[in-house]
Amino acid sequence: MASTDNPSRERILGRIRAAVQTTAPHHDGPAGPMFAPVTDPLDRFQKECVANITECTVTADAAASAAALASVLASVPPGEVFVQDAPDLRALVTAVKDGRPLRWSSEGPPNEASQATITLCEALVAQTGSVLVSAANGGRQATVIAPVHIVFARLSQLVPDLEAAFARVYERGIASKNSYVCLITGSSRTADIEKILIMGAHGPRRLIVVLEKTG
Amino acid sequence: MSTAAQEFLRKAAEKSADLVHRGIVRWNIDQYDTGVGRGKTRFADWDAARQRCHDIKWEAVNHLDRYLLQFEQKVKENGGHVFWAENGEEARKYICDVAARTGVKKVVKSKSMVSEEIHLAQAMEKMGIEVVETDLGEFIVQLRNEPPYHIVTPAMHLNRKQVSDLFKEKLGAAETQDPPELVAIARRWLRKSFFSAEMGISGANFLIADAGMVTITTNEGNGRLSTSVPRIQVALTGIEKVIPRLQDLATLWPTLATTGTGQPITCYNTLMGGPRRAGEVDGPEEFHVVLVDNGRSELLADIEQREILHCIRCGACINACPVFRNIGGHAYGVTYPGPIGSVLEPHLRGLKEYQHLSFASSLCGACTDVCPVHIELHHHLLHNRRNAIHEGTHSASERLGMKMFRWTMMDAGRFSFFGSLGRTALRMIHGMGLAGTALDPMRPWTKDRAAPAMPRESFRDLWRKQNGVH
Repeated sequence: MASTDNPSRERILGRIRAAVQTTAPHHDGPAGPMFAPVTDPLDRFQKECVANITECTVTADAAASAAALASVLASVPPGEVFVQDAPDLRALVTAVKDGRPLRWSSEGPPNEASQATITLCEALVAQTGSVLVSAANGGRQATVIAPVHIVFARLSQLVPDLEAAFARVYERGIASKNSYVCLITGSSRTADIEKILIMGAHGPRRLIVVLEKTG
Repeated sequence: MSTAAQEFLRKAAEKSADLVHRGIVRWNIDQYDTGVGRGKTRFADWDAARQRCHDIKWEAVNHLDRYLLQFEQKVKENGGHVFWAENGEEARKYICDVAARTGVKKVVKSKSMVSEEIHLAQAMEKMGIEVVETDLGEFIVQLRNEPPYHIVTPAMHLNRKQVSDLFKEKLGAAETQDPPELVAIARRWLRKSFFSAEMGISGANFLIADAGMVTITTNEGNGRLSTSVPRIQVALTGIEKVIPRLQDLATLWPTLATTGTGQPITCYNTLMGGPRRAGEVDGPEEFHVVLVDNGRSELLADIEQREILHCIRCGACINACPVFRNIGGHAYGVTYPGPIGSVLEPHLRGLKEYQHLSFASSLCGACTDVCPVHIELHHHLLHNRRNAIHEGTHSASERLGMKMFRWTMMDAGRFSFFGSLGRTALRMIHGMGLAGTALDPMRPWTKDRAAPAMPRESFRDLWRKQNGVH
């Protein structure tokens, strides 16, 4: 291991400490809320998903979730699917009986050629139609590597806004338990050529949320 | 005049006369303006958002030692390394040493303006390491051997035809002007790199003190792959990027996305706090954060200009700037173009050589109006100008010129006399068909433009005639 101690650290810190002895003037302005409150999180989440190109299906129970997942998988080309190894997903995937090869996160990271990945999430954010995942959701690569990312979530995971999402991150120690956390909003995209929006740059072309109203 | 200034003037003149280039840039910025206009309507109070961003950055920058130390301690607790670099040389050496020690042959990079600032890729290539830029725009400019044109949109100056020609020439791709196919070509090409590289280097949009995490914001997912697949991860950034708390991101993420691209929030906002933990499926074996000073702590010591360190690199001031819209990103000849660069670069590279950037502005204040963290950019351009004069870096002829100007302007009679003389002389010169030639004192303006007709009477003459008073 390279040593991270070096004399520059003390020199830089010394200059910083000397400089901040004096505080710079502060610009004062309006202190009200930036955003209007989210009143109906489920409705807002669904609307935001439409806007950011996330395919969201709200289901009533486990059977409906399995049917939704089966219909998504039917649209995915043949090949291996990577699944976060969690009891909820074991049950769901067993109910689907898709028949294609599965790789569970307990067996190691996904293969580069995975056709789809199925994971849980830490939270859903209504304000932006986002999915919060961590390393616990099948690892770092699971949620970025395949052309299709399917997220299974329950209504209790839906929070109204980013402030509430961070409150949950603190409350459950998500950032301290994991080396990796990502707020995903829609599928991968680029506008680097003539500002034309193209989906599926390096990450998934499709982001699918199956949101079950139970639990 | 410095060499950099002469080069700046030459390129600026060339680019402002390039109508194809202007057309491409105008199209891009029009798209941006429309997106940002729409994005701001999502806020109940945009000014409250700007204020909160200012509050967060003010708190962080004015207590920089405290938050950097908190950040460092957390990263170390989680098994990561933090290296403090005085300058580019120290940062390059540290990263190159890590690469040499861990047997790195190939590096995938996601966007990092600090890596441009310190010329990291060139140093690694000298060691025989292949460095691949993975952001699509960065990948395109890398293939062209160009620096990024813009800090957010690195290939803003190119159209699809130019990208197609480039991919055909450099990657052997089939000719296509279909943007989705162009993106697919890059995706296929870069996929191979992500899975063969041993080291991933990213920048950082923010360093979060209370969590000890680095956050990067990308749309493409290249930043996520660069920080997930390779076994060594390096985050390279400036010391001013630290913010106090994780929940500050509830303000900063949507605001940065809005002024950066007009999106409500960027696709992927990723937080990374160390190497792979026990029990995690994947992740790097080593995690290094390189904090670069490179002149920033000196800027911190300047109370008047300290707030330049509040910048979140969204690019809003660049897009708003009429100078940038006309001369483009490469004419500046520095890492950070536009108003923020014209304010910052003289601090990073020396006021003597780079003061011309602070003078190349109409001081219209459009940059200040759009800045999401309330940096008074046009005032800082003036501060740099004043400081340059105090340092006595301007030429003897310029000093003499300003003295004569002052002498003329301090007396109504002299002002009137020289005004009349100038108008008469120009009327004669232009009347002889010499406009735009070497004999025309107005040549810098008239060589590319029609000369306005010089009136016989001054404003004061007209006023006196119409109102009968002085």
